[in-house]
Amino acid sequence: MSTALPVLLTLLGMWAVTYAARLSGLSLGHLRLSAFWLAFLRFVPISVFAALIVPDVVNSADWPRQLLACAVATLLLWRTRSLAWGIVGGFTVYWLLRQVS
Amino acid sequence: MTTAASSPSFSSGFRAIVPLWLGVAPFAVAYAVTAKASGLSLFETQWMSLSVFAGASQFAAAGLFGQGAAPISIIATTAVLNVRHLLYGLSLAQKVPLTVGQRLLAAQFLTDEAYGISISAPGLNLAYLLGAELSLYTVWNVFTLLGSLIGALVPDPEKLGVGIVFPLAFLGLLIPQLVGRVPLIVAALSGLLAWGLSRVLPGGVVVLATGILGALAGAWLSTRSERA
Repeated sequence: MSTALPVLLTLLGMWAVTYAARLSGLSLGHLRLSAFWLAFLRFVPISVFAALIVPDVVNSADWPRQLLACAVATLLLWRTRSLAWGIVGGFTVYWLLRQVS
Repeated sequence: MTTAASSPSFSSGFRAIVPLWLGVAPFAVAYAVTAKASGLSLFETQWMSLSVFAGASQFAAAGLFGQGAAPISIIATTAVLNVRHLLYGLSLAQKVPLTVGQRLLAAQFLTDEAYGISISAPGLNLAYLLGAELSLYTVWNVFTLLGSLIGALVPDPEKLGVGIVFPLAFLGLLIPQLVGRVPLIVAALSGLLAWGLSRVLPGGVVVLATGILGALAGAWLSTRSERA
């Protein structure tokens, strides 16, 4: 085995910090929270999803295509409420745009 | 495929992630190729996918290993990129009661995608959460291995153009939540904030900072209007 000890220790450290973040959040579920913090947690998915979507799209090399695909997907999702249709529709638009430009 | 079953089960959680495999698989291959180029062995490359299991930070670490960065700076980068999982755990724990053993297990496999799918699932339970988590774990690890073995033959995910599946999937999870004025405002604010922050900060920090600030704004706006 060509594995060096410092590499394995680094990997162990990477695992430890990641696992700690995951576990500590899950372990705080019993906290009794005020209306404000309950509302805070309800809005977490919304703010997080927006943060996962926007930089990914607007900082991409082909952002005009991605933006258009996302716009079409948004329209489809709004009308159909179906995750599958949104992904398929957005993907199709993106692929067609890649073929023509 | 993505509509929630009447009673959430391991297999419905597992299947809900399947559309994302298309995006995940090429990135796992790309990670393995990057890791190999950085001088990591097949064992080390696979071990990182099995233990750390966090895509963006694995990419970053592979790059840093290649530059000969100090172990502490690799670990610190990983911590910064992954501390957002704390928010996911907090948010999930409000919906699913978990015993200590269940938390220890569920924590190992938590990801952006598993969180996103699970938090949007009606009647979420442990089985569904684990199904979603292990669905991604399976595809990430299988394709890490494939990437290590035959990576050079597979085209760059950038060229394949499959990365678009991630913003599309997160859009699919976001749109149904945008009912009413405050959620719309929070989404718009968060999107703008994330855009601005992404010009100066790494991705994991952007998600964490935006996640907190956006949700604070939402909590402030909604509790204020309830009181008024």
